[in-house]
This record gives sequence, structure tokens and C-alpha cells, in this order.
Amino acid sequence: MNSSPILVASHLHRSVPGPDGQLTLLEDINLQVNAGEAVAIIGPSGSGKSTLLGLLAGLDAPTRGAVLLDGQPFSELDEDARARRRGERCAFVFQSFHLVTDLTAEENVMLPLELRGDPAAREKARQWLERVGLAHRLQHFPAQLSGGEQQRVALARAFAVTPALLFADEPTGSLDHANGKRISDLLFSLNGEAGTALVLVTHDDSLAARCQRQLRLESGQLHD
Amino acid sequence: MTEPLRVMLLRPWRDPAFRVLALALAVAAFSIATVLLLRAELDARFQQRSAEVLGGETVLEGSRPAEPAQLQLLADIPAARVMNFATVVVEPEQVLLVSAKAVSDGWPLFGQVTTAAGRFEDTEAGHRGPAPGELWVGDQLLDRLAKRVGDSLTIGSLTLPITRVVKQEPDQGTGFYSMNPRVLMHVDDIPATGIIGPGTRYRDEWLLKSRPDDETLAALKETLRPDQEIEDVTDAALSTLGPLKQLTLWVALAILLVTLLCGAAVYLTSGLRVRRRARLVALLRTFGATRQQVYRRLLVSEVLALAPVLVLATGAGIALLLWVRQQVGWDQPLAAGLRDWLALALAPLLLLMAYVLPRIRALVQVPAMAVLRDEGNQQPGGLALAAALAAPLLIAMLLTGSLSELVWLLALLVALAVLLPLLLWPLLVSLEKASHHTAVVPRLALRRLTRRPMLVLPLLAALLLSLSVMTLSMLAGQGLLEQWREKLPAEAPNYFAFNVFDADLPALADWQSQHGARSEPLYPIVRGRLTLINGEPVREAVTKESDRAQRNLNRDLALTESAELPDSNRLLSGAWLRAAPGEVSVESELAEALQLQLGDTLQFITSQDPVNVTVTSIREVDWESFAPNFYFMFSPGTLDGQDVTWLTSFWLPAGHGSRLAELMSTMPHITLLDVNALLDKAQGIVEQASDATAALAVLLVIAAVLVLLAALLASQQQRASDQALLRTLGASDQLIARVDRLEFLWLAGLAAGAALLVCLAALAPLAEALFDGHWPLSPWLALPLAVAALIWLAGVQASRRLRHRPALDTLRQG
Repeated sequence: MNSSPILVASHLHRSVPGPDGQLTLLEDINLQVNAGEAVAIIGPSGSGKSTLLGLLAGLDAPTRGAVLLDGQPFSELDEDARARRRGERCAFVFQSFHLVTDLTAEENVMLPLELRGDPAAREKARQWLERVGLAHRLQHFPAQLSGGEQQRVALARAFAVTPALLFADEPTGSLDHANGKRISDLLFSLNGEAGTALVLVTHDDSLAARCQRQLRLESGQLHD
Repeated sequence: MTEPLRVMLLRPWRDPAFRVLALALAVAAFSIATVLLLRAELDARFQQRSAEVLGGETVLEGSRPAEPAQLQLLADIPAARVMNFATVVVEPEQVLLVSAKAVSDGWPLFGQVTTAAGRFEDTEAGHRGPAPGELWVGDQLLDRLAKRVGDSLTIGSLTLPITRVVKQEPDQGTGFYSMNPRVLMHVDDIPATGIIGPGTRYRDEWLLKSRPDDETLAALKETLRPDQEIEDVTDAALSTLGPLKQLTLWVALAILLVTLLCGAAVYLTSGLRVRRRARLVALLRTFGATRQQVYRRLLVSEVLALAPVLVLATGAGIALLLWVRQQVGWDQPLAAGLRDWLALALAPLLLLMAYVLPRIRALVQVPAMAVLRDEGNQQPGGLALAAALAAPLLIAMLLTGSLSELVWLLALLVALAVLLPLLLWPLLVSLEKASHHTAVVPRLALRRLTRRPMLVLPLLAALLLSLSVMTLSMLAGQGLLEQWREKLPAEAPNYFAFNVFDADLPALADWQSQHGARSEPLYPIVRGRLTLINGEPVREAVTKESDRAQRNLNRDLALTESAELPDSNRLLSGAWLRAAPGEVSVESELAEALQLQLGDTLQFITSQDPVNVTVTSIREVDWESFAPNFYFMFSPGTLDGQDVTWLTSFWLPAGHGSRLAELMSTMPHITLLDVNALLDKAQGIVEQASDATAALAVLLVIAAVLVLLAALLASQQQRASDQALLRTLGASDQLIARVDRLEFLWLAGLAAGAALLVCLAALAPLAEALFDGHWPLSPWLALPLAVAALIWLAGVQASRRLRHRPALDTLRQG
């Protein structure tokens, strides 16, 4: 396993204005994720897991501290530059799937490839949908797919771009037990094959246990 | 203001859906108020103008005085008596046929008499006729007899002083000039003249200030002698108001569309408002609130917060109407009745209730837990759709008053509203298919349209309709205005000169060039009467019902000859006159009244030999044109050897009126008619109508943009979520902006393109109906594109705000 750090967060701090002054959401977060490593961040509801994921993925800017992606400053870039870097290196899987409702399953998987300017987007999308067992659903729109199928499309979309880093936010949270198990199996198997680093946010201890490292977030602070 | 009240009034404004809802209702309330009040004013003016033309709201007329029993029946209604007759004024060197009118006290019942203290003095308007012992005479009479105010004139055996010059009478009848010189006197002086006796041809009119009730009218009809008839304002033809009426029709249609569009915006935004408050309703129900309490809570706060907006918008409509009245110089009390005021207050509320109540009802009926679990089906049900369709129809009825006039346009509108989405559906399907083979940006843009047919099809239809109606009303309005402007160019003839002799022509031409007066063509005039049709005396040939024919045959007509068909005439049948004597072209309505056909032979008697001619063409004459028009026009050479005078018209720059006195002193026999007042009035109407169509276009654009904003709000959540996702996947702000721009370009472009096609298709029948078969193609056809560009800009700007929401917040909400 390659042990060079792909994602480094140092002294991350996030606060928002509240009725009684600044409200601290995250405080002095330090974290390093190495290439190919799977890290789970667990914690109760409202502990700031999704806020931390947003900061790590460059979807939000920290109040203080910095995030480095591939050793390069990430959180200090402007919105468009962060989006570009994210598109090149990262992928996402969300609890509520977040497929583009107006695009077919195939087009949803093609989308990040097309944004990168990949000329073989369609072929790759088909291959990945085949790998997740949805070759027969290429032209279906999200509304025509079950929850489990939608999450499989989301996985295909995430891995199609061969990301260096995958962010997964409660990927089984909206699924029943059987579908949740199938999705987590698929996630870890694809992740293992691709050697992608994984940052998994979950409140499910059994899912977290499948990662190499588990970190606990409580009251805005991260503990090993 | 108490805290709870302030919260109730102000809190809804934090919701963008409420702001669009309020704006849509405000535009609707403003439009409804304006059009209802304006319609009431116009109806009153039309009615008043009809009564002015007729002389009273109802007129009993005959060839002898009304019977005492008849007058007894009408005793309760204020009335005036008018006697119309022709007589001859004999002066030492001249005999002149004049058209006299004797009026009683109380005349005129409607309108004003315009008179002057002298031939070229300033005019003043009054509400009374000549007193006993006075004569008021027209310009022509003064000119022809070389008289002045203060001189005496003998009518029959009575000599009376001329006290004023009469310029215009309210009940002068149609047509803007009369060929016979005019005399006005009091009915009390008639016996002393000795003119009216048994067998004298004259019309005796009993004018009534108001219409008798149906019972009295029926009783009066029982007593009518064969020579008597009753005329009513409702029968009075007002051909001069034709173009204005057509324009009013377009205005009503456009306002109706504005209301429909605002209705659509209210429908979409009120749906959003109700959906957003679904959770509150569910919680209230869970806590034990009754349905009535839920209705009250939701409605009272909504209506309270909207009330100031509705009051302000309605107030603005009333203020606009008052301003228009001031501009036009209407000083009578407001014409709107209780029904109008009620309609004006209730219509916007009706619009709101029709769209909100059924939705709240549906919401209240869904089990509370279903709403809380997001399982509730809050889609509009049958009742909501029925109310959504019925409300605009009800408002249309309020707006139009007489639905019969608007019925075909309304039917067209409804048909289009139903048919358009059906017609546009295949277009959307083919765009969807095409989008599979496009790059990511156009694909995303196209899919936003093609994947939301239930929202996009009505929106597209609404935009298309508003662009089409806006363009067509502008085209119709501008086309009619252009027609008027052609008739009334800046230098339209403002003086008409009759009785110009051959010998006067060089001197008249000199005078005109000296004073910069631009002259129009000269027409030779011969006075004559039609006596024989196909060898039969006219009175036997003409049926009694042909009142118009009778009126025209009972007086000398101005006959002329011309090698050219005048611009204001249009040939309906036959061929235009050849350059050989013996042919006549007849005005179409008179030809119809006289039942004349091509090939009929006519004989006219004049002061010389009778004129025998064959009808070779029938012409339609535009009597509204400010140009000399004739019932009978002969081929060149037909009037050779007759006593000919000349008629011409010319434009004299403002401020040269006094020079006319100089002309009249050198050629006193010339009759001059001044139409400056009429021209000013007509030009004023043209400008006001032009402003009205422009204001209407602005209202339509606002309404169309409101619908677009409402549609954007309705799809806001999905749109924001998609944009956040794109950003998460690495899309730049620029790429997302390109998707937005392209989406609205497709939407506005499709609407504009289709509107252009609708306009071109609609122009065919319109061209036939309104523009005499000529297609009114004009730069206005580019209007849909220009307005589509505005709509595009509004859409892009509105969606821009969404792009600046943090992606993480949006994704969490989703």
C-alpha cells in the first residue's frame, strides 16, 4: 500500500454566527488520509460529521486551518479551482444518492467523465454500470430506479473517474438492511480493486469497522 | 402596530414565492381595475356619443308633430322638440337653399353646441340653442350671402337678426360636413314664418333625455302613425368609432391574457406556499386543530398580508383612470356603477381564493401523519383544476361586460391554451431524443425542459400566447394607427373650399402658394338629384324601409367626375370608370339601399340637361377619411355642359387663420369649412391609443416574466440540488451558468419562434378582417424576439441567485 498522504487537514476550525455570538461546529481538527487508506469518521447526529466531510472535500471553507490535497493547498483555492481539483481527484457517494434527475443512469455516470473532457465517457459509463449489475438499466432515469439501484449508479459514477479519494456520506443510510449490505459490499470491493482512498462518514459502527481506521467525532472534536 | 399583527403582515414577505404571488396579484388587480373603469367610461362615452348623434336617448319622429296623447305618455321624461326642414332664403341677388332646424328650449339634451360671435372669431361651447327672435347660421350661409353677425335674414315671412355663427351641433348626424348652408332658430318663431303648413315636407322630432320604460314604449308603439318611428341609442350606428372599438377589443383581450398569466403565476406560487406550509398544517392537525381553524390560520394571514398590496394596486388603477380622464378632458362624474366597483374589489380576491382554497382543502384532507412522513399527495385535485379554469372565465366575464364580442377570441384563447401544449408536446419529445446525442451542457439544458413537461408545456404555451397576443395587438393597434396616420398626416387638409368657380382657380392657387397652403386635387361639383332608376321614378324603386336611401334622395347630392379612384375608396365590383362619358360608380351602402346592380341605368336632374349614366362599378368608401368622398362619381366628360363649381381641400399652417378673411373678402362666394377641431381630436385619439398599446405590451411582458419566475420558484429545489451536485462533481461556475443560459435560450427562443409562426398564421384572417387584405408586415414582427430576449435575461438573472447558494447546504437539504 502506498503510504504517502493524499489528504491532510491541519487545525481545522469551523464556526457559524449564532444568536449568542459565534457557534463552534468543529475545533482544531487534524487528520491525515494516506493513498489507498479507508478511514471512517463516526459520531452521533449533530456531531459535525457532514460539516467535516464538506470541509475536507472543499465544498465549504474552514474558518481557520487548512486542507491539503496531494500536498497542495486545497481549502485556500477559490470555488472554481476547488471544483476543478475535486473533479480531477475526488468522487462522492451520498446518503440520498444525489443523481441528476434529468439524466439517465448512463448519463449520470458519464457526467463527471464528460466534465473532465473524457472522449470515451459513454463506453466507460457502460462498463461501470455493467460492473455494478445495471447493464439493463442504462436508459432509465433515477425516478425509474429503486433506492438500491440508484446508489449502485452513484457508486459507478464515483469509481468511473478512477478517483484518488472517495468521500462517502452515510452511503447506506437511506437503504434497508439487505440493500445496505449489498451496497457496502460493493463499495469496499470496488474500493479495494481500485486502491482508492476512502473517507467514510457514518453512524453505523459495523460499516465503520470495515475501514482500516476509525475516528470518532464528538462535540466538534476528533478522537482516535 | 401590535407585534402579532406586524408579524402576520410582514413575515410572508420573507418567502420569495409570496413576493411573486403578491406581485402577480398586484398586476392582475391593477389591470382589472383599469380595464373595468375604462370600459365603464368608454361605454358611457359611446352611449353619450350615440345619444348626441341621435339627439336623445330615444327619439319619436314623424312628418307631423307628435299627437297630444303621445306627448301625454312621455310627459314625465325631460324632452326637446326639433323641426328639420329645407327652405329657400331669398336675397336681392341670390336664392339659397338652406337646411333649417328649429329647436325648443332644453335643446340640446346631450352634448354641446359650438358657436362663435363672428365668422373668424373664437368658438365657444354651450348647452342651449337660439332664443326666440334669434337666428344662428352656419359659415357657408354667411359666405354665400355675404352676411355678418348682426345682419338680418328673412326666413319665410319672418325677418330675424343673425346673432351667432353655428360651428358644430351635437346631433349633426354622421358625416363631417353638410353641403347645405345651416340655419338654427327657435320653434316658437316657426308659426310666424308661415313655412310649415299642411303638406310641408319636414321632420318633427321629439327628443327624450332618457329611455322610456318598456311598458310606456310598448304603449307608444301602439299609437304610432304610419309616418312615425321610434329611434333608440342602441340602434344608432357609430361607424366613426369603428377603429377605436377594434382597438378596445384588442385591449380587452390583452388585459384578459395579463389576468390569465397572473392567474398562472398565482396558481404556481400559491401551490408552493401551501406546500411549504404543509408541515405546519400537519402539526396543527396533530395538535388537535379543526379544519376550520387551519383554514382560518392559513387564509387570514395570507389575505391580511396581501390586502395592502391589492389596495395599492387597485388604487394605482383608479389613479391611472383619473389621469386618463384628465388628459382626455372628461369632466362628467365617474361612469362606473356599483357592479363595476364590486367587481373591481372582488376579482383579485376571487383569483386568489380560486387557486388557494382548493389546495388548502386538499392539504387538510390528507392525513396529518402522511404529510409528516412526506407521503401525502398534495397534487392539485379535480376541484383545484376546475376552480383554476373557472376563475379566469368569471373574470373574463367581468372584464368584457358583453362576452358576445369577445366570445370568439376567448374561444380561440381557450382552444390555444389546450391545443398549444398538445402541439408543443411532440417538439419536446423530439428535443429529448436529440439531447441524447449532444454534449453535456446542451444536454443538461435541454433535459431541464424536456423532463418537466407538466411545468414547461403550460409555461411555454403561456409565453407563446403572451408573445403572440402582444405582437398581434401591437400589429393591430399600430396597423390601425398607421391607417389613421395615413388619413391624418401631419399636413392633412384642414380646410375645405366649396363653390369655387372656374374664374377663381388662378387666384385661389396664387393665394395658396403665397401662404404655404398645400392643395389637394380639385373635384368638379354639380348639384343634382337622382330621379330615375332603369327608367322608373326613384320613389317607386326605393322601398320605405331604406331610410338611408330616402335621406340621400331628398336632398341635392354633390356629383363629381374623376379619372382616378380616390385613395379612400375601394372597388368592390365592376371596373373603374373609363375615360368615356356615361358611366357612374356608386357607393356600396347606397347601392345596396337602392338595390342598384351593375348595368342599371340612372338619370339625374341638374340645373341643366339631365345626366344619363350606367352603373359600371360599386365602391366602398371610407367615410372616416378626411378627404372629399362622393356617393356618385361619373366618368370624365359626363358632366360637360353642366353648371360646375369646384371643391378642393388644402392644408394651411397653424396661425394663418386670419389670412382666410382676406381670401373670403376677395372671393366671398366661396364656402370654407374649417376641420381643425376635428383633426386635433382625431390626432389626440391616435396618440392616446398608441400609448395604450405600448402600456399594454409592458403589462404583458411583466405578466409573462412573473409566470416564468413562478415556474422557476416551483422548480427551485430541484434546480438548486442539481447545481450543487454538478459543482460537487467538479463543474465550474461558468459551466453551470452556460447550462442556465442555454436552458432559457431554448425556452425563450422556442416561445418566440412559435409566437412568430402563430402571428403569421393569424395575420391571414386578420389581414382580411382589419386591413383590407393587406398583410400588416412590419418591424413589430421582431417584437417576440426582443421580448424573448428580456425573458431570457430575467430567467438567467433569477437562476443566478440559486448558483450562489453553498453546495453543501443544498445537498444536505436534498
